[in-house]
Amino acid sequence: MDDTTPMIPDLDIPGSQSTPAIQSRWQQGRLAMQGDSYPENSYELFDQVIAWVRDYLATERRPLHLALSLVYLNTSSVKAMMDIFDLLEEAHLEGREVSVTWHYDPRNERIAELADEFREDCSYPFAITPSVAPA
Amino acid sequence: MDLLSMRESYQRERIMLCFNGPISRSLIEEIGKALRNYLDTQQTTPSAAMDVFAVYIEMTQNIRHYARLKGYDETQASATVAVARDEAGRYLVSAGNLVERADGERLVATVASLAPLDKAELKAAYKQQLRRPRDEEAPSGAGLGLLDMARKASRPLAASLQPLPDGRSFFSLTATL
Repeated sequence: MDDTTPMIPDLDIPGSQSTPAIQSRWQQGRLAMQGDSYPENSYELFDQVIAWVRDYLATERRPLHLALSLVYLNTSSVKAMMDIFDLLEEAHLEGREVSVTWHYDPRNERIAELADEFREDCSYPFAITPSVAPA
Repeated sequence: MDLLSMRESYQRERIMLCFNGPISRSLIEEIGKALRNYLDTQQTTPSAAMDVFAVYIEMTQNIRHYARLKGYDETQASATVAVARDEAGRYLVSAGNLVERADGERLVATVASLAPLDKAELKAAYKQQLRRPRDEEAPSGAGLGLLDMARKASRPLAASLQPLPDGRSFFSLTATL
């Protein structure tokens, strides 16, 4: 097996009213999520994302970048996202190159506040960027 | 059915949206959508609208989690939900459901224990709860949701418990935003 073969397939999950759209790109070292996230049990959705991140970080030595345009998260989703950011923090402390960019609509400062609370517990590059909402 | 008196009571209480009955996952989403659409028409800022929506979601999902935990049937798993405005224009989000009396008493005590905490203390408690392992969460699962609501609210959460003849109680919770 060559070293760029994904251990698990890339994710391409369409969004719904209560769940974000999720795309992972093993070759590019990139994971992206957009939209609201408030499923009753967030781990039914996020377990596969957590597994992908864990697998990528365990298999590759290349950087990993998260591009997020998440809007509203219920507390169950906040918990799952924290698990993902913790995996990145662990990798960062081992010298890996990881980063997050969180895009938000500047009309809604709650999103920036939410992102900022996650950032408080992270020592890797974590940008919170106002931008026009993606179409 | 006296719909007119219902209507008058809703108007008197400034209730803009209410629901009573078995609450499914999809119903939570649909009522949530209606709530968001309504807030959009009310010159509510996007952040304030998101706070109201967030409190509504945490309350109703807590009720669903609790009913599942207790193995309640559809009727027992019903919820009473209302979103209103007070005289000062603040949003009131309320939800009530059937609970076992001991659970209800524990919930009322938890809510009361949050009342004296300021925003910084609530944030610390929230972050601490967030870091608790998944399987060590409160049996009701309500801990994180309650802290989240308390952080968003402009005054302490108000909880009450009314005993019912069947030995259960009706728990109700109101957040002012």
